[in-house]
Amino acid sequence: MLKGHLDMIVLAALSAAGPAHGYAVIEEIKRRSGGAFDLPEGTIYPALHRLELAGLLKSIWMTADSGRRRRVYTLTRAGNRALIERRAVWKQFSDAVGGLLGGTRPRENPA
Amino acid sequence: MIPDYLERLACELSFDRSLARNVRQEVEDHLWEAVAADPTGNMLAAQQRAIANFGDARAIAAQFAVISLARHSRRAGAAVLLVIASVFIAMKARIAWNAAAQLAIGEDMRAVSGLVVLIDRYAFWLSVIIGLGGWAYIVSRRIPAGFYPAHRKQLRRFFVLCCAAAAALVVSVISDGVLTALLLRGTELSAGFLVPVFSMAIEIVCVGILVFHIRGVARRTASTAALLNT
Repeated sequence: MLKGHLDMIVLAALSAAGPAHGYAVIEEIKRRSGGAFDLPEGTIYPALHRLELAGLLKSIWMTADSGRRRRVYTLTRAGNRALIERRAVWKQFSDAVGGLLGGTRPRENPA
Repeated sequence: MIPDYLERLACELSFDRSLARNVRQEVEDHLWEAVAADPTGNMLAAQQRAIANFGDARAIAAQFAVISLARHSRRAGAAVLLVIASVFIAMKARIAWNAAAQLAIGEDMRAVSGLVVLIDRYAFWLSVIIGLGGWAYIVSRRIPAGFYPAHRKQLRRFFVLCCAAAAALVVSVISDGVLTALLLRGTELSAGFLVPVFSMAIEIVCVGILVFHIRGVARRTASTAALLNT
């Protein structure tokens, strides 16, 4: 299930952390999820590359304090828009499932 | 330990050298940072843990291969259009030169040249339509997270469209070659020959570039499938 939402998770982490390299994105995901997501860290990098190819992220290479080359990712405007859309879809889904499981009615869409 | 892992990862991605280099640098930074953040202070155990947390090199490489394939398919789609545009420019330049130099096909070959011109025209515009269709098709697809059957089907369709566009363009370039040969037949050799011959060479090189790109997509598809199947 997590795999299907990996793109949204990565976009959300980058939105929260600001420009960040892969390791920082993973740390942000761990921190914000309370370590709930146990996926191989390496799977984040193909997701970052895929999102960049889709135009939702952009990246630049810089030199870290350690002297190593580091790729830093930033959300693009299209990425921000995609995140807003995915958040809305997720909220709707979560409300609907919450209503089913908890017996509460999901809030009506104001639109 | 980390250098060995990086070597394995780069080796799995050897079908795309620039991707292998970039991924290697990116993963190297990640792994050493993970080692530095390890609380135990045991260097060897920290490296082992960092690699284990990162995941199997082959599985990670397979995910990158899918993205590399998507990137190269898009590039091939754009290459089809660029090549067709270049052939069009070379063709128009040759026609303009022929008119300026008052080169014309002899009366005895008029009927043949009329037929070849017709073939040339239809083949060229067919390549334009199919090429545009192929490009629009591939750029409108979502970049998949895996090499799913639906994605394989999309790539097959795109490949067929590219091959059809290339085949139509080859017919058009051959027709151009026939027309140029008919035009220069019986004419005395002069410096003016260089322009039609050079424009034909450009067209042939363009077709070669297109074939190279299509072959690249086929090879990458095979490499990705091999990575995922073993």
